[in-house]
Amino acid sequence: MYGRVIGVTVLGVGGHPVTVEAFVGRGLPSLTVTGLPGAAVQDARDRIRPAVEHAELEWPLRRVVVNLAPGNLRKEGAGLDLPIAVSVLVATRQVPPKAAAGHVFYGEVSLKGEVLPTPGVISVAIAAARRGLRGVIVPVANAVEAAQVAGLAVTGVASIQEVVGFLRGTWRPPEIGTLVSQRVAAGSADLSEVRGQDEARRALEVAAAGGHNLLMVGSPGAGKTMLARRLPTILPDLTREEALEATQLHSVAELLAGRGLLRERPFRAPHHSVSTAGLLGGGSTVLRPGEASLAHRGVLFLDELTEFRRDAIEALRQPLEDGRIVVTRAGGSVSFPARFTLVAAANPCPCGFSGDPQRSCRCRPDQVDRYRQKLSGPLLDRIDLRLTIPRLTKDELLGASAGESSAVIRDRVIEARDRQRRRYSALGITCNAHLPGPIARREARLCPDAERLLGRAVDHMALTGRGFDRVIKVARTVADLAGADRVSEHHVAEALSYRTAFEQDQGLARAG
Amino acid sequence: MPADAPVPAGLPEGLGRGPGETDALLLLRCLLGPTPRSLHALVWSAGSASRALARIRSGGAGSDNDRSFLTNTDVIAIRSGLDRAGARLAAPGDPDYCPAFLRLADPPIAVFVRGRVLDHGDDRVAVVGSRRPTNTGMEVALDLGRGLALAGVVTVSGGAVGIDAAAHRGALDAGGVTVAVLGSGIDVAHPARNRDLFQRIEASGTLVSEYPPGTPAEPFRFPARNRLIAALSRGVVVVEGAAKSGTRITAEHAVDLGLDVFAVPGPVTSPLAETPLGLIRDGATMIRGTADLLEDLRLEGAASGERALPRGLSADEGKVLASLATSMLPSAVAAATGIPVADTLTVLIALEIRGLVRGVGGRFERTFKAAATQPGA
Repeated sequence: MYGRVIGVTVLGVGGHPVTVEAFVGRGLPSLTVTGLPGAAVQDARDRIRPAVEHAELEWPLRRVVVNLAPGNLRKEGAGLDLPIAVSVLVATRQVPPKAAAGHVFYGEVSLKGEVLPTPGVISVAIAAARRGLRGVIVPVANAVEAAQVAGLAVTGVASIQEVVGFLRGTWRPPEIGTLVSQRVAAGSADLSEVRGQDEARRALEVAAAGGHNLLMVGSPGAGKTMLARRLPTILPDLTREEALEATQLHSVAELLAGRGLLRERPFRAPHHSVSTAGLLGGGSTVLRPGEASLAHRGVLFLDELTEFRRDAIEALRQPLEDGRIVVTRAGGSVSFPARFTLVAAANPCPCGFSGDPQRSCRCRPDQVDRYRQKLSGPLLDRIDLRLTIPRLTKDELLGASAGESSAVIRDRVIEARDRQRRRYSALGITCNAHLPGPIARREARLCPDAERLLGRAVDHMALTGRGFDRVIKVARTVADLAGADRVSEHHVAEALSYRTAFEQDQGLARAG
Repeated sequence: MPADAPVPAGLPEGLGRGPGETDALLLLRCLLGPTPRSLHALVWSAGSASRALARIRSGGAGSDNDRSFLTNTDVIAIRSGLDRAGARLAAPGDPDYCPAFLRLADPPIAVFVRGRVLDHGDDRVAVVGSRRPTNTGMEVALDLGRGLALAGVVTVSGGAVGIDAAAHRGALDAGGVTVAVLGSGIDVAHPARNRDLFQRIEASGTLVSEYPPGTPAEPFRFPARNRLIAALSRGVVVVEGAAKSGTRITAEHAVDLGLDVFAVPGPVTSPLAETPLGLIRDGATMIRGTADLLEDLRLEGAASGERALPRGLSADEGKVLASLATSMLPSAVAAATGIPVADTLTVLIALEIRGLVRGVGGRFERTFKAAATQPGA
């Protein structure tokens, strides 16, 4: 007796359809699974029989062989529990084979026959739609997630009984439409709540408009974290495509918490004790996305940048370049998307008060040197905007007028991004931050005044080649925000002002 | 001589001269136990270097550490160590031994020297100050070093970071000569970040240390070092220094030696202004910068050429510069001048490129250059 259904295994974030065949033949009662099953799939052998019997269905007291095809693909995850169970039910004709055909089954089962919430459902649905399959049968807790994929009949089930009932036509699933999540009331965070700090608010706007990474250097309590948390509020809404990508990553990491589709741009702020695997993804059996991937299409905030492990920071170069992370383990390698805006924050010196007008710095010069050494390096080269966040005096705080709201700023950001997309449509990039240096010099279109100012800056501000390219890219974004075709002197001046205290001090540091 | 009798000033006649005396002086000066003051007292009570050494060997002075050092060391090894470091011993009467040292209450019995032979015809002025100065302090020290160099004066200072290093660099960059008095051994580059600077100083000027090769830098040696800085100079300029600082000690030595003391004032609220302001109150000469110093030293200021008012300041640039009373946020400057924020930023950056304004921690402030070019503004 033979049965065949389709399941999906999720490797990384990608769903891969798996044909699950069951053969029930003569021999002592046993269940064998072939076809490169991973540890979780091996476990299914002992889990499925009690689950089926608990659902008041019959488990064949004969020799059962389950084969997972293609045989060269490693199968991971408990999501294959359900298709294995159904394949046996099809083989024993407890479920009509025709009814099971054309569906994808996915979900972990309990010994009581319940179908449990399972990570990666949206990836399963995407894989099913891509394969042209009619519908997916998934845990009811994840049904909303699967329903985000267009053109797919989604059936949410809570138990094996319901699966069988559905296939026999004796049970109807709940309407998915009622479950579709509304936009969560946008969090209360708004850029207008940040008092003073006009320059920093403006820098966030520039970062959002040009897709630039941002480093904030400032004393403790200056407001670095408060500012960083509000960057997502001025970024354009996720497109449907982007939202699906981000949702897949959060689904496999089990962070969706019942939501269907991520609507807000993610904001991830890992603690500085995070391991390299935690930041970039990894794990011994099941490869999970790291914080950098969970920040995909959103913001990755690294507070106290100097405290992070050096190797973890260095490893961020790959996603910053390529927008993805390749994790390689003995079992194979997996690629996670990771295109995020990096926001890093650091104190200006070990004690935190260098350059603060109200408190004096207690660090020795060599301590400051060593500290700043930690902040330099390859990661810093990929951060276009560097910013000093001053701790405001009482008068500066009280005298500050309320700033613009996030919505107003976001409108300008969206307009600036549209200009960039149109301009770079032939280049295959979307924003100024991704411009390669030589092209940036050509595409920026500087006025003669702007050229002159930039030339003087090279001489007097000790701009390096890389620093020069950064200023041009940022100036281009400033011009885009102003709706200007050409980059003027004003735009270059603003771009030049985005430097850290370190860079400002460099002239004198060389002197003493 | 009774033990409690006051130690005479200067050093015994012919100290370190004659057979065996030079070696004895070298060995004495290589002992790390006795302080400069106790060595001075010892050579007076013993009468000569070799007799002082004998007294230590016999247990009449010094410590067990000194005696074990003397039994384990020989003069030849010390001399070859000095040669390796490119250093030499300067005994009283040697060209490298500054005669003014003898005016100190506790003159060094000898010093170690590297680089050019000290020229006693040189006009030397010390520039001293904090190891953690403000940006303004750094700029003032750089400019003082440059101004002194252009006027043909040798700058004397310590070897520390901050004001010391800035004064040396200012002078060296202008082609001048400097003398650095170290608080560590003559071959010990401390702090390490000043290694390059010491090489530059040695190439044209002189490094001086009272301590034998290999002596690590330790804070308790710096006050003694400061008396040599004062003694080498005809005047001492204090740029920035906290209330109880080495800078203050150098100035006090200068007063004891009857030298001119100059001080650059700072805000009354600044801890780094405490020493200069205290000195001014006690009668030191207040100077606002290099021009004042050269005038008071009756020197022709070649540096004044550097001070020409920058030409071509636009109306907005003038307004912005005039409004920068303290360190201000760009938005505050915009509010004070009535110039739109974007234009204010452009003006500030243009001024920064010209070196008249500097960005510090997100705010902007005037540089020393701007202060000197805007009298009364």
